[in-house]
Amino acid sequence: MTTSYQNEIVTKLSLQVSSFQEGFKILANATSLQEIGRNFNHILRGSLLITDINIFFKLSAEDSWQEIYINNKNCKDCLDYISDLKRQQIVLHNNGSMKISVIHPTIDGSYFGLLIGDKLDKMEYNEEEKIVLQMFLQLLDNAYQSYISLKKEKQLIFSLNHRLLQLNTLIDTGIEISKLENRNVLLETALERAVALTNASKGLIEISRNKKVLGIIRLPNNLNLEELSYAQNKIETKVEFKGFQYFVKLIDKESRNGFTKFDDTDEILLNAFARQVLAAVENEHLHKEALENETIKKELSVASSIQKKIIPEKLPIIDNYDLSGINIPSKEVGGDYYDCFKLTDGRYAFIIADVAGKGVPAALLVSTLNASLKAYLDMNLPLSELAIKINKIIYNASPPDKFITFFIALLNPSSGELDVINAGHNPSLILRNDGSLEKIEAGGVAFGMFDMGLPFDGQKLKLNPGERMLLFTDGIPEAMTMDEVEYSDEKLEKFFIKHNKETAQEFIEKLILDVKNFTLDTPQSDDITALCVIRK
Amino acid sequence: MVTDFNLETTKQENCLVMKTFGYINNIGGQKIVDVFNEHKDNGINNFILNLSESKIVNSIGISYLIEVIEKLNNSNGKLIFTNLDPTIEKTFTIMGLFQFAEKADTVEDAYGLI
Repeated sequence: MTTSYQNEIVTKLSLQVSSFQEGFKILANATSLQEIGRNFNHILRGSLLITDINIFFKLSAEDSWQEIYINNKNCKDCLDYISDLKRQQIVLHNNGSMKISVIHPTIDGSYFGLLIGDKLDKMEYNEEEKIVLQMFLQLLDNAYQSYISLKKEKQLIFSLNHRLLQLNTLIDTGIEISKLENRNVLLETALERAVALTNASKGLIEISRNKKVLGIIRLPNNLNLEELSYAQNKIETKVEFKGFQYFVKLIDKESRNGFTKFDDTDEILLNAFARQVLAAVENEHLHKEALENETIKKELSVASSIQKKIIPEKLPIIDNYDLSGINIPSKEVGGDYYDCFKLTDGRYAFIIADVAGKGVPAALLVSTLNASLKAYLDMNLPLSELAIKINKIIYNASPPDKFITFFIALLNPSSGELDVINAGHNPSLILRNDGSLEKIEAGGVAFGMFDMGLPFDGQKLKLNPGERMLLFTDGIPEAMTMDEVEYSDEKLEKFFIKHNKETAQEFIEKLILDVKNFTLDTPQSDDITALCVIRK
Repeated sequence: MVTDFNLETTKQENCLVMKTFGYINNIGGQKIVDVFNEHKDNGINNFILNLSESKIVNSIGISYLIEVIEKLNNSNGKLIFTNLDPTIEKTFTIMGLFQFAEKADTVEDAYGLI
């Protein structure tokens, strides 16, 4: 080329600068390869007056050409023109439908390929047009780099947003599932989040105890477990609470091209979700426990108030008699019961009873005993007959492990005569004027043990002036020290004999004090109940 | 509970309503894009995506939705998400989808935005 020819070309190209700038602007705004191809076609078409422009792209030398903009389907017959990828080249061809072939390697190892047909005026391509094409190719290259940068920037933003999403979801899920009270919903929610955030396509939570599978939460819900056992692409972890194992498994991590391997971040996320499941399950358990405790507390409170109404606040005043009683339950609701009330025939009933067990069931039985006793006593039935009837009621009202030991004495206050039955209760004591101690054992088995019509033998006694009677439950003789040494019947009997001058109330107070001094700081293990009757 | 992905479409004038069922993942996202492309090529430029029956979406599914949004932005079209589960709505917010797409409570509300 001569210098004057070069100058001519430079001048012509200078005139096209604004066209190049405009071309680059259009190309650089493209958001896809197809758009780059389409725009590049428009630029070439306007500058070189050609319509037969075909643009190809391949990601690497090993890939096949992919069409990104095709005008002439027959151009593929000339793909041989762009098979040699060693370097950038623009080749003019005299024969064939395609007159120019271009191979343009880009910075990331991919390639553009162009096959260009005849000009509109069917003239041959000249050197100047080759140079112009070269310059446009440079624009294409720059636009492609800009497109790659934009794509990377978008991927980076997407990736950062996704990390933010993972952190946010992790926090939200922890808060959300800790509020859930239904364990299945809790596990489903945690599984959904773990699957979505790790891009897993499937997942499950298996709940086991002692190697026995108790339940499986699946995502999707038709997940085939057999197919799952063969899955290679999976991660799993396990948490344990109160003997229950929760296995969390995630399967087949997805990518736009199919599947990919789970990475370290996925493992971290899975473990974090599993820990959240554990915390939520613990919370749920504690919440349930608290609710149950609250319910029990309410029930006990109700039962306690019922029992307080049954046990007399005040004992009746009987001429020439001194009475005092006490009931100290070991739990909020105890199983001991005592009472004293006047019958329609003028006699007084002294009752003491002890239900096997404590709490609400015991209180219910005491309530049953109290109601039935008062109903039958008003009917003036003989005690032996009354005992059979009440035994039947208690037997039918109580479970097999529940029974009531029971003692009743009906006192004729003017004569001091006592009509007595002892149904399996501790023998009540009478301290005679001569200092001897009488134990009242007559009766039968405890109420509620058998319903075989077993007889209850009554006993008739007399409480003379100056004599005293003590009714008590086993909470007194069986009160224990820390070393499990019992207060004992002997000690009680000696105490009763020794303290024979005290009023009924003084005696009861001293007795309780003596028992407390004996057991010291040992928690009371059984109810303590006593009733003292003194004939003045 | 999450089921296999499915897609139902309803066409109304220049608008296609796509209702998804199940997990919007690689399979779900691809299906949405396929149906979108098919109708876009036939001249539809407004799309409503009713997600009432989808409770979870992963980032692969989101990448397909972004593809749809970008294509519509280039052609002055619209994509409106409706009936969003709060978790999905938050996910889309963090991933930036609402910068270029709209949301509405119901499909009927979405018609009003077109």
